[in-house]
Amino acid sequence: MSDEIIQLETPFQFNEENMKKVDELIGRYPIKEAAMLPTLHLAQKQAGYISPAVMKHVADLLEVTVMKVKDVVTFYPMFFEEPVGEYVIRVCQTLPCALRDCKVVLDHLKEKLGIDVASETNLAKGTTEDGKYTLMKVECLASCDVAPVIMINDDLHKNLTPEKVDEILNNL
Amino acid sequence: MAFIKLNDLEIEVEDGTNIVEAARQNGIEVPHYCYHPGLTRPANCRMCLIETYGTPPGAPPGTIAPDRQLATGCTTTVRTAPPERKYEEKFDAIIRTDSPRVVKAREDILEFLLVHHPLDCPVCDQAGECDLQDFSHRHGRDKSRYVEVKNVPPKKDLGPDVLLYSTRCIVCTRCVRFCQEVSGTGELGLINRGSHDEIDIPRSHEGNPIQVLDNKLAGNVVDICPVGALISKDFLFKSRPWFMDKEDSICTGCSVGCNITVEYKEDGVYRVKPRFHEDINQHWMCDDGRLGYHYVNRDDRLQLPLKKVDDEQTTTQWADAINTIKEKLGEVEAEDIVVIGSAQGTNEDNYVLQQFAHDVLNTTQLGLFGQLPGEEHKYPQFTIESDKNPNTAGARTILGSANGNVVLEGEDLWQKVASAKVVYLVSGVPDRKLQDEEKAALENVEFLIVQDVLPSEITELADVVLPGTTFAEKDGTFTNSTGWVQRIRKTVDPPGEAQVDWQITQQLAKQLGSEINYSFAGEISIAISENVQGYEEATHQNIGDAGVKLA
Repeated sequence: MSDEIIQLETPFQFNEENMKKVDELIGRYPIKEAAMLPTLHLAQKQAGYISPAVMKHVADLLEVTVMKVKDVVTFYPMFFEEPVGEYVIRVCQTLPCALRDCKVVLDHLKEKLGIDVASETNLAKGTTEDGKYTLMKVECLASCDVAPVIMINDDLHKNLTPEKVDEILNNL
Repeated sequence: MAFIKLNDLEIEVEDGTNIVEAARQNGIEVPHYCYHPGLTRPANCRMCLIETYGTPPGAPPGTIAPDRQLATGCTTTVRTAPPERKYEEKFDAIIRTDSPRVVKAREDILEFLLVHHPLDCPVCDQAGECDLQDFSHRHGRDKSRYVEVKNVPPKKDLGPDVLLYSTRCIVCTRCVRFCQEVSGTGELGLINRGSHDEIDIPRSHEGNPIQVLDNKLAGNVVDICPVGALISKDFLFKSRPWFMDKEDSICTGCSVGCNITVEYKEDGVYRVKPRFHEDINQHWMCDDGRLGYHYVNRDDRLQLPLKKVDDEQTTTQWADAINTIKEKLGEVEAEDIVVIGSAQGTNEDNYVLQQFAHDVLNTTQLGLFGQLPGEEHKYPQFTIESDKNPNTAGARTILGSANGNVVLEGEDLWQKVASAKVVYLVSGVPDRKLQDEEKAALENVEFLIVQDVLPSEITELADVVLPGTTFAEKDGTFTNSTGWVQRIRKTVDPPGEAQVDWQITQQLAKQLGSEINYSFAGEISIAISENVQGYEEATHQNIGDAGVKLA
């Protein structure tokens, strides 16, 4: 093998509070593997992103192979394998938002934050250097009646204009 | 048994057989990729689509028409229907694998499978034994309508012996299922989504492996890969498959006795692949066996007899070597001679050796020599045994088959050797390290005759070295740990003047006035079935291709 197997230098551990939640999650299902998605969400909340150490820890907890966890993590775009900003800004790109000028919103965000749009395999190019913001394009956020919309972490912001975007960013 | 109509054939098949197998048994090809008889069936490649027939809802009884949807042949099984449910009053199922709908569906599926597949057959190792190539040729369309850019995922290093050319992969997931079900190690999986799906081992985001495909069954994923995506590093760019000859044989790596196919050319053995045997190895073999053939091709193989003159071994003629041995054997008493057979040798080698010891030398002191015990590895559907010799069971029985013969092993043997004057050791065991006790015993021997394939610590101690042959250079039979007697076949010629082991023993016997005179291995096989207790069933005919299990 040309590549060495990487050594996990800083092992990941759930903190006490999250560990309780994980136990509760696992208890809900007949097989441990079924708790994969909520456990990964919890891990991502604690660690910021899903590092190899996180995958290893989750695999051990759910008694599956590391590859199973990696499989799930790479399937879903809401799991990050690289560090992301404190605020993840998702800009809707689907037709109703596009017709309502989401591109203007996106361009404004790009200019204001001085970053490109992140791609699934390269989150770094869409993240500000201070690690505060990550800018992503996404498909429908299910709020077409109030287009254009963006989602910042778990909050939805509607009927946007560049001015409104400025206001929202100032209030973060 | 279910009675079915398959295309225009009216055939009987076992209940529970799937259509791919039923068709194969009757000489009809149903192309398939994800289906493998040794694995579960996800039916994800959609290549084995077939047309099933039934009575449409609302139609008058007795009407038979194709079902609306095509079914996958691998997951459609047939079973005996009750009399009122039979079609045309006799068929349990009516199936077509050649209707226009099926032919069209296959063409379309193949076009999809080839969307991201590169046209690199001229440099691909799999070309010539590639299911994608064969089925495209036989069932595919001659043109692709895809004009967009192809995905070009990188080539990946998965483990010590396996490379993945991701571009060629059609994501049938045979390898993933193999690692989950047969080896139980689960190193492989799918990453990403949709048309970007790739097989991979778990890696960090930067691409460094967290785990590698290094279990001892890893080589099998290369065999089951229907395309050229998974490639063995050992065989990479070595030969085109159609240039190699093939011969059925038995693996010598351990006492499981996996059925193998040896692929070879004039200049040596090129690779070893597992061959199906329901009761022994199913479809698989381990990497120790798969990569264990290299010693056959080594340049330092013994090619000429060696004789020790003034403490130095020099090459000599066969006649001279045999004469030297003859003279020495004439000088000593029968009880000072120990004859040691090999657990790497065939039943035939050991039978002739036993006859030589018992009938010619009049000694009943025999020994059994072989590879040191190794580690046992257990996987969910496969076990690698700790006895690293293919024929321990057979050699033990056959060496001890004549009246009064004692077969010594382990410490007893080395104690006996230490006090013997002449020892005739048939080794043929590659890379065998001698333990201190064994070395001391052999050093003590006044006159040591060693028959071996490679120079080793053992041949260094010998007064006469006779060049023998490996499993790849002779015919014969092995008896595995569960009592299966199976045949090995000659592939390449022995190097230099090396000879088949039983022929060497027979020459010695003849020089000493014996009438042992076999002309080929099958003849000895017959003698074994006549004279060795327990081997009555193991006649030449009975053994055949599949082997025979002793009672």
